[in-house]
Amino acid sequence: MESLTIFLILLALGFVFGKLAEGRHYRSVQAREEMLVRLPATSCKKPMGNSPPISHAQLVHGHVVISVDYFKQIMAGLRNLFGGTIQAYETLLDRARREAVLRLKESCPTANEILNLRIETSSISKGGGDRIGCVEVLAYGTAIYYQQASSQHPRP
Amino acid sequence: MNYQPSLPEHNDNVSHQRPVREFFVLITGVLVFVFIGYWVLGLFVDVAVDYLSSEQEAKLFSKVAINWDFGEELMPEEQAKLQGLVDAFKPCLSLPYPITVSLVKSEVVNAMAVPGGKMVVFSGLLESVSSTNGLMFILAHELGHFKNRDHLRLMGRGIVLSILAMLAFGGDSGISDILVSTINLRTAKYSQSRESQADHTALRTLHCHFGHVGGATELFETLKSQEEGFDFEMLHYFSTHPELQQRIDDLHQLAQELGFPVQETKDLVF
Repeated sequence: MESLTIFLILLALGFVFGKLAEGRHYRSVQAREEMLVRLPATSCKKPMGNSPPISHAQLVHGHVVISVDYFKQIMAGLRNLFGGTIQAYETLLDRARREAVLRLKESCPTANEILNLRIETSSISKGGGDRIGCVEVLAYGTAIYYQQASSQHPRP
Repeated sequence: MNYQPSLPEHNDNVSHQRPVREFFVLITGVLVFVFIGYWVLGLFVDVAVDYLSSEQEAKLFSKVAINWDFGEELMPEEQAKLQGLVDAFKPCLSLPYPITVSLVKSEVVNAMAVPGGKMVVFSGLLESVSSTNGLMFILAHELGHFKNRDHLRLMGRGIVLSILAMLAFGGDSGISDILVSTINLRTAKYSQSRESQADHTALRTLHCHFGHVGGATELFETLKSQEEGFDFEMLHYFSTHPELQQRIDDLHQLAQELGFPVQETKDLVF
């Protein structure tokens, strides 16, 4: 009886706090995406269109680690039995991916374009033993600066 | 090719369904699977227990030593006395293997039949009965469990449940433990019918030993008067023993049907 109560409390805590954290994070992500939407980040290997001559390029990266809450973990465990999409993890990875790209952009606010954007994900702990899983998303790319901008922003 | 700064209107990468609903659908599915599995395999356990003879059981448990740990045996004198009382039933209730009594210091008012011919008595029981007859009825009741093979049924079902929980949730998961502790409440009904069967065996044994059935309901009467002190309905639900009054009535009725007399009881000296 006691362990059932503890389980239900953990589940409720996981759900409530997970939901609150997720809502707050999404609001922050959306606001920052709007601010940074004018900085292009593409998976192209060359600048788009007729870009001015490039003064310099720089490797930039952004990464984030987000932990799974108890509710999501239980949901994923149950899904393991039946198969199907693990919807509980979709928002987790969506947030992590967008946050990583945002951090990448925030690391080079004066760049003109980010080329060759790559996104990778890995799990830091696979949820064995202590059963706490968290996901890392790493975004990296090449930030390029046009020549006329280079006079204002000297090479680091 | 020019860059158009814009954000997607819709997030297509996440499902917009209610997670709580999904959770209840999934957990219901798992529980239905476990309950049906437990019920069906429980029937198999009953068949297997009926198939296994007492001699085979004795042989099996003489080879497999199970180390049950209920607590320390701190009262060797009292334990020896209890062993004597249990042994005194031999002419009335024969079992193909010897029963070893283990007296454990604990406030719990209970006794248990454990596979391998071990009877665990908690010392709280000795303080709750005042007559030898009352105590011997409880000992006979546990012997009745051995006779009716209830200890094997209980163990078999425990194994079945652990396996099912492990299949469903994985061995090291906390959910398995929770499921095992929750589902045990459900066995209450099953075990109630076994309890009253053991009561019947105990009543016959008591009559055979003393020539009367005085003191048979002593412990139940005591527990009942204690329970009336704090009326807590939930206790009945969680109790694996049939409601006390029902048990007392049942015993009185059986004693009347079989014509067992009720006489003075002997005081318990410990």
